[in-house]
Amino acid sequence: MLDRAKLFASIFCRAVLLTCTICSLCWGQDWKPTISSGLQNPPPVSFSATGLLPPGPMQAKATTACTECHEARIILQQRLSKVAWTKEVDKMIKWGALVDASDHDALIDYLSTHFSTEQVPYVAPRTAAEKGSAGKTAK
Amino acid sequence: MNSRRDFVKQLSSAVFIGTALPPLAGWATPSESPSGQQIDVPGEDGMVLRSLRFYDLETPVEYFNTWLTPVPHFFVRNHMHEPSELGAEDWRLMIGGEVEKSVTLTLAELSKLEIHSVVNTLECAGNGRSLHRPQVPGVQWGKGAVSTARFSGPRLRDVLQRAGVKSTGKHVMFRGLDEVPGKVPPFIRSIPIEKALDSDTLVATHMNGAALTKHHGFPARALVPGWIGAASCKWLTEIKILPSEFVGNFMSPGYRWPNQPVKPGNAVKPEDTHPVTALSVKSVIAGPLENSSVKAGRVSVHGAAWAGEADIVKVDISTDGGANWSSAKLGHEQAHYAWRMWSYDWKAKGGDYTILSRATDSQGRTQPAAAEWNPSGYLYNAFDQVKIHVG
Repeated sequence: MLDRAKLFASIFCRAVLLTCTICSLCWGQDWKPTISSGLQNPPPVSFSATGLLPPGPMQAKATTACTECHEARIILQQRLSKVAWTKEVDKMIKWGALVDASDHDALIDYLSTHFSTEQVPYVAPRTAAEKGSAGKTAK
Repeated sequence: MNSRRDFVKQLSSAVFIGTALPPLAGWATPSESPSGQQIDVPGEDGMVLRSLRFYDLETPVEYFNTWLTPVPHFFVRNHMHEPSELGAEDWRLMIGGEVEKSVTLTLAELSKLEIHSVVNTLECAGNGRSLHRPQVPGVQWGKGAVSTARFSGPRLRDVLQRAGVKSTGKHVMFRGLDEVPGKVPPFIRSIPIEKALDSDTLVATHMNGAALTKHHGFPARALVPGWIGAASCKWLTEIKILPSEFVGNFMSPGYRWPNQPVKPGNAVKPEDTHPVTALSVKSVIAGPLENSSVKAGRVSVHGAAWAGEADIVKVDISTDGGANWSSAKLGHEQAHYAWRMWSYDWKAKGGDYTILSRATDSQGRTQPAAAEWNPSGYLYNAFDQVKIHVG
């Protein structure tokens, strides 16, 4: 009976994981960058509040490798050189990020293309106002 | 199993499908509308969202208008996941290491010790990181990873006295209950025994008169006044007295400052650095806001200024990009480790202006025109600046 419960739990977890992964990938297709007229190469992007990595050959693998531990917004707000991105990726691999050796360079290319120092500044979203917060003061 | 749970949690958060996925922790969780425009974090009010997982929430500068920051406006910096389950009844604080006898305290036992209050301005070492050039990796804080509250709880020295610190004890290590993903090193740091025994260093259980909220370290946190926020470990569960500084990622290479000024962009060898401890002298303009338009006439330029373990003695304001400076009026509310509010009545005529603020402290330090660049982007403290239009 216990084994059957474990089996059911395992199947349920896998189904949830699969659903989430599919949703994540599909959701990513809806992601649309805002193109600024000022800069064309690399394409400047203005990431909004959606917190999703931009499309690209490494979108799915970056999502899996990086967002296991932290959300995509941590990446979206960075503006770094390729040298700096290489250091970050290697540090994260040391800290447990699962990146195939064959994907290593492509992942760095993806990050340093989309989140280079040339990109327009990231605009952070705000959390919602708390109901009845106006005029709240500390004791 | 933990990492699978984390993975599911992450996907449900990042994708926000609004499905029937049950909350995985026994705490209020954030929710996000599919468009991503409405992000509701229970207990937090209109904060700048740097990250939901881990929580990194910045105080908008326009909130720097009260001496004590209301808790829903107090910045949040987490390195790891907050504890998934945490109850006041089950919580214990262990004190061990270089002590006469190890002791374990309950929250009830802790609350029987004499309670002391300290109004402290807490600032993340990385506050202003996004303003450093060249840019450096890390949470890209603007100006608001800083807030002020009245923290209360027993003095750390009274807690340590329960165990009896041996003469071999030179550093005090704090460990919290935050949950570490993957192979990430745990967020453990230490402070020197002298600072630990200071009469204003606390094991804080309250903030602005109320029990700590989860985001701020419920049920107890270290409070190391005047020092970078990273020294004030949240969800405190273990204090260990050590013969030397704790060895770990968040003591080195994390949170270190170059012994000599560094050319921006250059690397620094770990042996040429020392731990970041007390905060710098700094002021921030809370209003008028950047790129705002105000009517000609009397304009109140106002904000806050702080200096870690030192006191603010002067804040100067320039409305012409730094050619001329005038003294701002300092607010009457003050405490040793707390910021001073300041204001300057400006008779503004029409035009475009760059307003600057520059603080000076009791140690003779003055906010510089350019911050000292360092590889991790700590302690940004250049003059604050806003550009406005007067119509």
